[in-house]
Amino acid sequence: MTETPALIIFIAAIFTNNILLTNFLGMCSFVACSRQLDAAIGLGTAVTFVLSCTTALNYVLYHYLLVPLGLEFLTFVVFIAVIAAFVHFVEMFVERFSPKLYFTLGIFLPLITVNCAILGASLFMIIRNYTFWQSVGFGVGGGVGWALAIVLIAGLRQKMNYSNIPQPFQGVAVTMIITGVMAMTFMGFAGMVSIQ
Amino acid sequence: MVYLLSILVLAGLLAGLAILLSLAESYLLDYGICTIDINSGERPIQVEGGQTLLSSLYSNQIFIPSACGGKGSCGHCKITVTSGGGPVLPTEKPYLSRQEVRSDVRLACQVKVRQDISVRIPEEFLNIKLFTATVETTRELTYDIKEIKLSLNEPSEISYLPGQYVQVEAPLPEGPVFRAYSISSATSASNIVELVVRLVPGGIASTYLHNLSVGDEVIFTGPYGQFRLNEDPSVELVCIGGGCGMAPMRNIIYSLYEKWPSRSCRLFFGCRTRRDIFYLEQFKQLQQKFPAFEVVYALSEAHGDKQWDGERGFIHLAVDKYLEPGPKRQAFLCGPPLMIKAVTTVLKEKGVDPEDIFYDEF
Amino acid sequence: MMNNQSQSRPACAARGLCCGRGKQTLSEGFWRSNPIAVQMLGICSALAVTNRLENSLVMGLALIFVCIGSNLFVSLLRNITPRKVRMIAEVTIIATFVIVFDQLLKAFYWDMSKQLGPYVGLIITNCIIMGRAEAFALQNPPLLSIVDGLANGLGYAVVLAIIGFFRELLGTGRVLFFERLGLHIDLSGWYTSNQLMILAPGAFIALGFLIALYNHARGPESEEIKS
Repeated sequence: MTETPALIIFIAAIFTNNILLTNFLGMCSFVACSRQLDAAIGLGTAVTFVLSCTTALNYVLYHYLLVPLGLEFLTFVVFIAVIAAFVHFVEMFVERFSPKLYFTLGIFLPLITVNCAILGASLFMIIRNYTFWQSVGFGVGGGVGWALAIVLIAGLRQKMNYSNIPQPFQGVAVTMIITGVMAMTFMGFAGMVSIQ
Repeated sequence: MVYLLSILVLAGLLAGLAILLSLAESYLLDYGICTIDINSGERPIQVEGGQTLLSSLYSNQIFIPSACGGKGSCGHCKITVTSGGGPVLPTEKPYLSRQEVRSDVRLACQVKVRQDISVRIPEEFLNIKLFTATVETTRELTYDIKEIKLSLNEPSEISYLPGQYVQVEAPLPEGPVFRAYSISSATSASNIVELVVRLVPGGIASTYLHNLSVGDEVIFTGPYGQFRLNEDPSVELVCIGGGCGMAPMRNIIYSLYEKWPSRSCRLFFGCRTRRDIFYLEQFKQLQQKFPAFEVVYALSEAHGDKQWDGERGFIHLAVDKYLEPGPKRQAFLCGPPLMIKAVTTVLKEKGVDPEDIFYDEF
Repeated sequence: MMNNQSQSRPACAARGLCCGRGKQTLSEGFWRSNPIAVQMLGICSALAVTNRLENSLVMGLALIFVCIGSNLFVSLLRNITPRKVRMIAEVTIIATFVIVFDQLLKAFYWDMSKQLGPYVGLIITNCIIMGRAEAFALQNPPLLSIVDGLANGLGYAVVLAIIGFFRELLGTGRVLFFERLGLHIDLSGWYTSNQLMILAPGAFIALGFLIALYNHARGPESEEIKS
């Protein structure tokens, strides 16, 4: 695994090991915000940016601060603090340089902090022992994969508005089922790149 | 040893992040000095960019009405922003009609001043002042309602119309909040202001006001309120209220009878039980003095109260029972949103023009 | 100004330790506002760890532990936490409890820790816990907050257990956890295991059907819950 090129990890994170469809990360905000296409695209972009940068930052902090000092048990707190700070920074940055984007994303921006995908990606990076560039590839790929999944589901949900869905299945239930089917289709990518 | 190190590392990291963030904030969110042009050049003011329009105006003694204190939950702070306000925010949309959005009406508490901005503010808002007053008396009207009389210090007089309200400043460690309270004293008494305050559990302003003693200083802005009592003495006034809604009505009724002793006026007041009633004796006396005044009290939860000889049930039912369709009327409503909705329906059925039905929304 | 609906409450002590709302809080958190089926929170881990019943049970236990702990402390500190640092304080408290559980798990049940992987750590971002802290513990006394934490944790754990049970049974034909207890279920005689159930798609589909079943059981009132 330590030999796998970062690019392969990047591709794997999008298709064969999609962070949402295979590792179930980032489901909460996914369910809440995947109703409209443009909101989904905006959110996906933001998450990709945050994911990429935080995996890189967390890698540095973990391997150059926590490990040398033997403080691995602080991992969770440190990672979350970095993520929260970074999201706050992105908020300010977006507010200043692109007010329009800021208003479009609205409340979703601070919600990225509690998105399990961000913390999850950092934790996976530690568990799988990636090098720096592998982590970056994983971060960017994870973000793109998450964005891809959410955009696809948003599109499907918009179409489903006009379907006759049985009462108990309306809402979350049918979303889960179609996500399951989508996960199945993504499984078809298996073998495209061999990683895990 | 490890624990000490971990605490140090954590503290250091958090401190580092906090410093970085505040640096970024001061660099990124520094908008410099912006000019607010009011009503085309009458009084342009310079403010520090980055704040909401509402707070920028407040710090320049221009008090736009705001019941929620700038949180974006009352929709009272509407002013026209002709340029420099940026796109309409999703937080404003629930409170603005399409017509308003087209005419550049915005919520001042949501618009951030990032550049030079020009606005149009109605004259009556520009006349609103900040008052400092001292508590003269406090009186308990019911188990949770107090009447507080404030004598004005600076400015020493207030001129307001019946039915208007003030915004009282309640101090908090993180900054004051403003809450609206209707003026309950008659307009002729221009150097005092009486407020009727119900103690809301956990309510910031009501707790603050209930804890005041004689001699304490209070700050408020005002007067606010769009209600204009119809000046035609043949128009009957109908006041319908629930709970604390009695306060503005007392003001209106007293002012009305000072001017037109034989004008017809009906008061319908609804509360839950007998112990929620107040001013009953005062209004009964008024009824004897001015025969054209009728008052009906209704209790909605007085099932066990055998001695209650007034109406029972919700107030809109009493209105339905006693109000005959006919004379031209003006209606003033004050109470919870559900009551207002129910009463408005009944009034419309009795032939009252929706234009003549007025209510405060807090 | 408004006619306030709430009457002044008699002192808590006069109505029992839980202000008379213990039972209501319990049923509310467990069934009426079930964290997964109704509030739709905590779905990430509900899907990830339910490939085996045993994993689901441990995760459920973890969540109950963290939820009760964080609710308790957030409630204890609710009157002295300044508004600005509220979120940070909550996250720190939650993170602390998660670290404690994680370390205990690593010490006493290493295999399980490896199986659950990062999902124990992800309890920090689990919206259920943060949600309960914000929505409940900040406004309610400690004992009631414990009840709420327990209720939500149980609601979550039960859903996880059910999904885990079916996924493992249909996915492998056996339920390992029961075998530890001495109960042997073995469907391999007549049932060909559907591997899909223990893979990702199976999780989504199982959850979807469970929520549909829950909505059906709730009946017409579940109309309002539709997202």
